[in-house]
Amino acid sequence: MDRPIAYDKLAREDRFVRMRAREVAELKVAQGLPPFPDLSSRESIKERVHGIMVGELQAMEGAGRTVCDFPDAPWEFTMDMARQVWDESRHVEIYLRLLEHLDGYAGEFPETTILWRCACAEDAAARVAGVNRGLEGLACDVFNQLVHIARRIGDPVLERAVDFVLADEITHVRMGSKWLTKLTEGDAERRRRAIEFQESIDERFNLGGVRREGDHDAVSISIATDVRRMAGFTEEEIDRLIKTTQRSQVY
Amino acid sequence: MPQPLEGTFSADHSARLLRNYRYVVERTMRALGGWIALTPELSAKLLMGRHVWDLAQHCDSFGRRLPELRAHAHVSEAANPAVAAFMDCLEEPEGPDQTVERLVGVYSVLNPHLLATYRDHLSRANPVYEPPTRRILVRCIDDEERHIAAGDTILRHLTGAPSAEERAVSRQRRLEELLVAAGGVTGEGLASHQAPEGEPLRADPSDDAREFIRLETATTAWPIHASLGDALRSFAEALVAGDEEALGRWLASGLVLGATPWTLIRGARYSGHRIVAFAKLGDQRLVKTRLDGPSNSAVVLVRWASAPGGWRVAALDVVARDARPA
Repeated sequence: MDRPIAYDKLAREDRFVRMRAREVAELKVAQGLPPFPDLSSRESIKERVHGIMVGELQAMEGAGRTVCDFPDAPWEFTMDMARQVWDESRHVEIYLRLLEHLDGYAGEFPETTILWRCACAEDAAARVAGVNRGLEGLACDVFNQLVHIARRIGDPVLERAVDFVLADEITHVRMGSKWLTKLTEGDAERRRRAIEFQESIDERFNLGGVRREGDHDAVSISIATDVRRMAGFTEEEIDRLIKTTQRSQVY
Repeated sequence: MPQPLEGTFSADHSARLLRNYRYVVERTMRALGGWIALTPELSAKLLMGRHVWDLAQHCDSFGRRLPELRAHAHVSEAANPAVAAFMDCLEEPEGPDQTVERLVGVYSVLNPHLLATYRDHLSRANPVYEPPTRRILVRCIDDEERHIAAGDTILRHLTGAPSAEERAVSRQRRLEELLVAAGGVTGEGLASHQAPEGEPLRADPSDDAREFIRLETATTAWPIHASLGDALRSFAEALVAGDEEALGRWLASGLVLGATPWTLIRGARYSGHRIVAFAKLGDQRLVKTRLDGPSNSAVVLVRWASAPGGWRVAALDVVARDARPA
């Protein structure tokens, strides 16, 4: 088997329209719309849920590639990644069902592959740092906010389902922290590169100032500081993330 | 009545069997994990995603049992080179149009063989001094029954066309020949332990393949407004006809047909069209139309924007071209 595969080999049914994230944002801004769904309406929540669904799809594909691409990694690492594949496959199903719940359908909005590209790092340590800590950290922010919004608008189906997915994501962040440490034991340079990769992903997913510290109802993506603490991010890491969001350029 | 104390094989032999199982199951788990990204169909993706973790747990159980049998933990071993060759062949299909080949290898050939092998092993593993191995086998048998049932459901969904069915049969035959040549995953010949009479393979509500198919096929009609629908139909007919003058009438000002990827398929002969994707981008719409002809097919992605004079094409791309008929 090819290990790893080129990122453009990601396979999709015809019903999905794939576009660059930057192009999607630019075309929306040109129409006077926010570059990222702001959860201000049911349509906007549906678009956010669709984005999460394709994110879960890519997370499943990325974790699957990690199981495949690193046969020489410690067995326990493979076990954790295999568990993550299972979790993500259930998340895909949950979000497909939530899309139906919101009268939407798979393919209703364009898919960007920015998440998948991040999951294609060639080093296992960089991959878990970037995916499990960077992207799953973002998932903690997004899901925590979505649970809050669902509660506010009185949608118990959305609230419950996302609450359980959030619990899984916290576990995935913990796995990432564990394996970032274990895989880079005695190799400070490898650890530095992996963390640098994660930080570049954090920066990218600040989405030009869309992710910020603030009230769930006031910002497009609010940083879930409590959930991040629970997932094992240090105070220093959370502070650094907040600071980077303050300097991220707006689209 | 006490259980018999007679055993049919030694601890060393039991350890070897577990290493043999671990070899094929580990490779299958890694292959399934890797294939998810290479497989377009959602139902097949979800199927594989569900089973990677089960197989990892099987490997883990075999691997942890090994030191209890005076062997090294977590070691996989091919019974013979022919087993390795069988697995090489099973892993081979990586193309986006080879989902059927991938699934047949795992769900129609390897898993039924593993199920029979585990059942055979269980029937011969002594219940007095091999309960740890027996418990592992019981769990694996239970999972394999579910996996085969789910895989069979998805395969029936994907092999609706006669050509796909033929590919499945041919693939199954080839892999079965290799498996026979290897003497099965243990190298000791193919076990023929079948399920007890009248006992169907069980599905599980948590990985119901019928639900995966439903999720894949749930969208039966696109929510296209009538005014846009007319424009889409007219534009698609012009694409099929290769009528550049008619196509040009739909373009937004500033867009020149000759400067778009239309030139990649100009001159190709198509006889039909159908919409395969319909997405929203704010107030604009992204529409993928598949064009099919006797020897070509192509997928055209168009971004439509509403203008004072009606819907107009703001961008056009050719996202797929295929030399074979659809």
